[in-house]
Amino acid sequence: MMNRENRILILSGVGLLALTMFFGFWYAIFDEHQTLNAMGFALATGFMEAAGSNLNGAYEALDQYGALSREYRQEIHFHGHFAFLGLTAILFGLVAHTLAYGERTRVGLASLLAVSAFLFPFGVFLQIGSLQGLGKIVAVLGTIGLVVSILFIVVGIMRSEETTG
Amino acid sequence: MTSILADTTTDFLSTRASRLFAFGGIFLIVAGMLLGDVFAIFILHPNNARIGETMYAAAMAIPSGDADTILGYFQAIGGFLENRGTKVAAHTHAIAIGYLAVMFAILQPVIGWSAEAKVRLAWTFVLSATLLPFAIFTIHYAGLAFSPLSYIGWASIVADIVGLLVAIVVTLQLVGLWRHFRSGGAAGPLVPALGAPGRLLLAGGSLLLLAGFFYGAGYAAYIEYRLHPGEVEILRNIVSNAAAGQSVDADFGAFGGLLAFQGIHRATHAHVNTMGLLLLLFALVQPYVFLSELWKKRWARVLVIASFALPICIVLEFRFGLIAGGAADISGGIAIAAILAFLFGLVRHTGVRDDAAKQ
Repeated sequence: MMNRENRILILSGVGLLALTMFFGFWYAIFDEHQTLNAMGFALATGFMEAAGSNLNGAYEALDQYGALSREYRQEIHFHGHFAFLGLTAILFGLVAHTLAYGERTRVGLASLLAVSAFLFPFGVFLQIGSLQGLGKIVAVLGTIGLVVSILFIVVGIMRSEETTG
Repeated sequence: MTSILADTTTDFLSTRASRLFAFGGIFLIVAGMLLGDVFAIFILHPNNARIGETMYAAAMAIPSGDADTILGYFQAIGGFLENRGTKVAAHTHAIAIGYLAVMFAILQPVIGWSAEAKVRLAWTFVLSATLLPFAIFTIHYAGLAFSPLSYIGWASIVADIVGLLVAIVVTLQLVGLWRHFRSGGAAGPLVPALGAPGRLLLAGGSLLLLAGFFYGAGYAAYIEYRLHPGEVEILRNIVSNAAAGQSVDADFGAFGGLLAFQGIHRATHAHVNTMGLLLLLFALVQPYVFLSELWKKRWARVLVIASFALPICIVLEFRFGLIAGGAADISGGIAIAAILAFLFGLVRHTGVRDDAAKQ
């Protein structure tokens, strides 16, 4: 039988992957090309306004490019980190029962990793819109949870005599 | 090995669906890594140089007030960026979906669907997952030719369709897991005792993954946010100096330095993490690699060393430039060789299992 810690991580990992794949599908059709075109247009406008001796217009266009570039990076980070953390959760889910801790600690670490794996990319996503402050807080909380859970899981793997099986 | 052959309930290579996922996944991983190596050698650096040269030419056109020429330069830059972006996306999607396919192979004993349904899902996943990076790769070359839409071409449409199919299969695997767990379906440990080579890979992968998390957290906290306004500031300096007829060489030097800084750190972070996942993944399949213990240990050591060397060489590009980049490519090539050795051992295992089943 698979233990609770295995189930928590495997189910949440596959769930995260499904979620990020549907996001990727939506994003590729409805947002990515439009954002990239707008970025290119803003950057070109910055140079063309400068060529027309309108430096204020150029700065405005370049600021717009900066904002779009930041938005694009965060969307890509959201998609990529969701996928990567989903894969990590599944892999650790396959060996979670062998960690050199008691059952409650194993379940606690699995739950912390599963929740943090959702919180961190979600925090990055929130920073795209008007909830930047909240997004940063959520992302930082997710990062702390990830670092703590991964650290203890790795120590648990290293100390495990059984490893698996 | 005998005990593994005797156990048909957890041997992840004992069913057609598992084999499809496993071998399709390893094919995708190797193809994605090869694409990454070729991309790094032949496209990345020349393409970056072309982008820098064209943007410099656009800046040089500012004093003459020639907006049409500037627009032409930026259209060319858009093409260069698309060329680079689609190669990177094909590389990362092939590897990530390949990892997932191998994980699904291991998880098949706890997926609550019939054997026939599992095979159909495996075929759909492997075919769609193979088409996805191929379609992404061709986006740059197909362009908008014969496209029914004004902003995306046929290659993008195909990529979106197969991407959706992959997402649907992943969701159905999740439902299958849920059905199995709810029914209280029995299954032994999905991964048997790993042995020494597996433990080496597990330890190496865990350490790399941990390092990757700290690297990413540190980069985000101390570098990413602090340097973010730098790009727009430099661009402002470029246009204002060009408009005033002054030299923009120093500004372009700063711009190139900033892009290299961001690019190398992001590539290091991504490769530490993906190579960590690779080691963990191949640790879990070691019990099914039908090679002698000696050769399994040798190949495990080779893969661990190559996986650590690859991101280290990338970060050394700050100091040694293309020489370190070349060393990173060689590390990637060595990692591919080790994966192919393990693939050979897995294929041998299926032959031995099939023979044992006949007898």
